[in-house]
Amino acid sequence: MSACVDQEALIRRIAEIIIFELKLENMTPEAFAPDLDLVDELGVDSMDMATVVLVLQDEYGVAIDEDDYPKLGSIRKIADYIRQNLENK
Amino acid sequence: MNQTSTLASSRCNTESGIWKFSEILADAAVRERWEKVRKYFFLRESSYDMTTRCNIRCDGCYYYEGQKQFAQCNENPKAWQELMSQEKKRGITFVVLAGAEPSLVPRILETCYEEVSLGCIATNGFIRIPESVGYRIHISVWGNDRTSLRIRRAKNLLLKQLDNYQNDPRALFVYTFTRNNIDEAHEVVKMIAGHGGKVTFNMFSAPVGYEGNLRHDLKSLDLTRRVMLDLLAQYPENVIYSTYNAVAHTQPSGLHQIYGCSYPRMNPSEDIGLGRSFRQYRADLSWDREKACCVPDTDCNDCRHYASGSAVVTARLHRHATQPDTFRSWLDYVDTYLAVWVMGYKKSDNLCPEQVEPPQRPE
Repeated sequence: MSACVDQEALIRRIAEIIIFELKLENMTPEAFAPDLDLVDELGVDSMDMATVVLVLQDEYGVAIDEDDYPKLGSIRKIADYIRQNLENK
Repeated sequence: MNQTSTLASSRCNTESGIWKFSEILADAAVRERWEKVRKYFFLRESSYDMTTRCNIRCDGCYYYEGQKQFAQCNENPKAWQELMSQEKKRGITFVVLAGAEPSLVPRILETCYEEVSLGCIATNGFIRIPESVGYRIHISVWGNDRTSLRIRRAKNLLLKQLDNYQNDPRALFVYTFTRNNIDEAHEVVKMIAGHGGKVTFNMFSAPVGYEGNLRHDLKSLDLTRRVMLDLLAQYPENVIYSTYNAVAHTQPSGLHQIYGCSYPRMNPSEDIGLGRSFRQYRADLSWDREKACCVPDTDCNDCRHYASGSAVVTARLHRHATQPDTFRSWLDYVDTYLAVWVMGYKKSDNLCPEQVEPPQRPE
């Protein structure tokens, strides 16, 4: 799968998941900047992050360590983390 | 490798013993409870000592340990209004007003409530807090009135507390189990229930350096769990608790060792969560990251505080979302925590009556 992962599609899907799970009604995937700081600029907290992570684990079949939450500070960072995880499988 | 085979070989399947989150949520009752509790994930707490004064002195009181008791009190409502305004700006949505005795500064409580509408006050209940303060009110109970007289030097305390808060929807009695008052819980809870009151449970957690006889041992932990579960079964309308609460708070190890405390005092990370946002203000409105936790000066190895667990167990959503019963237990815990702390939140029936052991900490 890793070779097939399209970075843009991955980023867009992560944006959709975050918008849906955190009920960000005023956001659209298109407008969601991949480098937006989820904690500083969007106000995401640890419970929000855990919720998103659980859904991402389901969707991509990867294991995300709870100690790695600080590495998931933007959509691009999440996408990179998932890609790397998939490549290491 | 295609997506189907990737998912089949992943850890998230029932063959590996770890369930997918979506599979756990496929149960309608679990999904409903998850949707109920997650609405409150916006809560961001900080805690505040309101004054250094108290009207009683209790054996084992955490407040009169460490340096915070020597802070110069700031009882100027304007200063508190400014503090609360700043707290709101940095994202705090829930305030815990505690030490030493908040009922002695009612004007400041009103000021806080006017700025931040969600919160809780920890009081000994001797003086009634005005109804204009719409926070949840936790009234500490440390045994029957004979025990209160002995260790709190307070006469007829429970009767006074019940009288002050009869039919008050803000009030929640918090029975603290020490090594020596376990059986007394039966008579105290019966009395509270007889007055139509609600009660939850706390565990005495020794302050740093404490050498008194209230500290729990293995025998008292085991007995406490049994009494908690008995009372939960006997008074389901009055006792706000769950089986998993009892299990989590009566383990041989403290909460930090089991779950990893997320308060700044034990958590150096400032990236996300409590380590980033939580502050514990002293009565002079200063705060110190090195000491910041919900009950400062508690011996972290002995910490089983209800306040600590409310944050620490709740924060471990990730590691509880691996098995249906583990997740149900976590939902019961969070549902209990919200009913205990948030004014107006109604507790639902517990989903998991079995005693489920806490999940292991990741290596």
